[in-house]
Amino acid sequence: MFEAQGLMVFYENMLALNNVGLSCGDRQIVGVFGANSAGKSTLMYTLSGIMDDIAKKERMAGGERITIRGGISFQGKDMFGVKPAARARAGIILCPERRRIFPESTVLENLHIAGYLASRQQTEETLDYVFTIFPPLTKITRRLGGFLSGGEQQMLAIGRALMAQPKLLLLDEPLLGLSPAIQYWLAKSIKEIAAERQVAIIVAEQYARPIMPIIDYGYILENGSAVIEGDRDKLMNNPDVKSAYFGS
Amino acid sequence: MAREREGMRKERLDRGIKVRSDGVYSISSWREMSFLLAPRLLLILGLLIMPLVLVPAPYWQKVLIIVCIYAFLALGFDFLAHFVGLVSLGGALYIGVGAYVTAFFNVYLGLPIWLCIPLATILGGGLCTLLLWPCLPLRGVYFAIVSLMFPLLSARLIEALDVFGGTDGIMGLDGFSNSWWEMYVLISFMLIALFALRRLVNADMGLIFRGVKDNDQAVKASGISITFYKAVGVFIASSLGCFGGACLAHIYMWAGISQFALDFSIIPIAATVVGGGGTLAGPVIGCLILVPISELLRDFGTLRIAVYALILMGFIVFKSEGLMSFGSRKYNQFEHWVEI
Repeated sequence: MFEAQGLMVFYENMLALNNVGLSCGDRQIVGVFGANSAGKSTLMYTLSGIMDDIAKKERMAGGERITIRGGISFQGKDMFGVKPAARARAGIILCPERRRIFPESTVLENLHIAGYLASRQQTEETLDYVFTIFPPLTKITRRLGGFLSGGEQQMLAIGRALMAQPKLLLLDEPLLGLSPAIQYWLAKSIKEIAAERQVAIIVAEQYARPIMPIIDYGYILENGSAVIEGDRDKLMNNPDVKSAYFGS
Repeated sequence: MAREREGMRKERLDRGIKVRSDGVYSISSWREMSFLLAPRLLLILGLLIMPLVLVPAPYWQKVLIIVCIYAFLALGFDFLAHFVGLVSLGGALYIGVGAYVTAFFNVYLGLPIWLCIPLATILGGGLCTLLLWPCLPLRGVYFAIVSLMFPLLSARLIEALDVFGGTDGIMGLDGFSNSWWEMYVLISFMLIALFALRRLVNADMGLIFRGVKDNDQAVKASGISITFYKAVGVFIASSLGCFGGACLAHIYMWAGISQFALDFSIIPIAATVVGGGGTLAGPVIGCLILVPISELLRDFGTLRIAVYALILMGFIVFKSEGLMSFGSRKYNQFEHWVEI
């Protein structure tokens, strides 16, 4: 359904992504793991098209020269170089790193803003779904986004991404800064979302421990290249992955 | 993306480290010294020769003086905006205060011109800093609003209370003994201010200034009073402006409320945009371009502002980084296509 081949991203002369290929089938959950600066966020930005926007801004301001090469196809259509808004309309929705909640809008407003692409009926239905899967949000619908706790903000961010009716959901570090208990709970919710909403999910994360059990296929990024790939069992049994991500 | 080649990307490499470093290696050969000195000497010598070149055109000599006065303001604006993090619209305040202070000492107290201008620079700078002090702890747009309000307020106060000559202004200031003095005093002090500021922002104090701009809470947490450093920054910028204003008053031999005109606040900002913010040399180059253009455009009459706005818009859309950043990048880096 979704395929990316040979993605190369240069920040000036530094290679941030080196020939990364990635594919994701219907309703699959694909994990991308890597340490800081491995290129996870760059990959997510490139897939969602935000990178094109960053590159353009940098070019106008005379900053870093960002070069993007490769190919991205989604449901048989070529998506490389397509504007981020058009990709979102096609169903590729990014839930960005560090949540990027609208801090001065209430929870409900945050969700409604994201319903821009959805029909009224879809909005109602998704809103109900978000509140069933993230019950804590029901009590704080009128609170401003900026006053939420980290966990609540992350739930809101995922809910907001769901409101845009994704076919492919890109989660960039959904567990960042959360307590282990919430991490596991959120990982469970992600799995439920994939099954119940029939979306494909690509999740980039440093903490492999909670995420690894829920994925169908995974990639390990290191210094911008995908060094190991394979299904869940292959990754979990790989001694290098074990020592690096599971500490055993 | 149209001009990009398949399978290739444009690589930028810095020129050799020896050449770019300001360290001792840079004096290891004539070639490297001249690489560093050439652009600086071009600006310095170019400005110093300019009055001689313009001898046949005395009108343009006057324009050069105005360029220098705007350059003082633009330097101050760039310093405050990009190194201290205060957007100041107070150019008119600095010029006006400088002009009135020097006129006060020269006409009312009869001090000589060579004493009046330094006094106006220091006392005027102090006065501007005092006026702006109450809004220094604030961030964001408040400083801009207050600094914009003061020149308007001062002009109306002088008009309404009829102090300092009222609407007629203070007349009968001593002029410079000849026009060469006017030009060379302004040009040399402008160059000194430019290179001094460039040095200051890289010194320890400059690091604090930049810290205040980037994250004032972190600076506070290090036990540094940000209000004090902001005040020092405002004092430096307003002293530069007051020096320009004092010279302007002595050149016109008159200080009046038109020296609180908002042109003095706006054109330096435009020059900073054109020249490239945060480079300090950029705003000076911006003034060298914009002020003569605005003189040339006088033929257009009232359309002048429209044409001026178009030129500015073109700069912002097509070269929003500014001429200086663009130029220094081209000067300091190689570019070539490489295979991916």
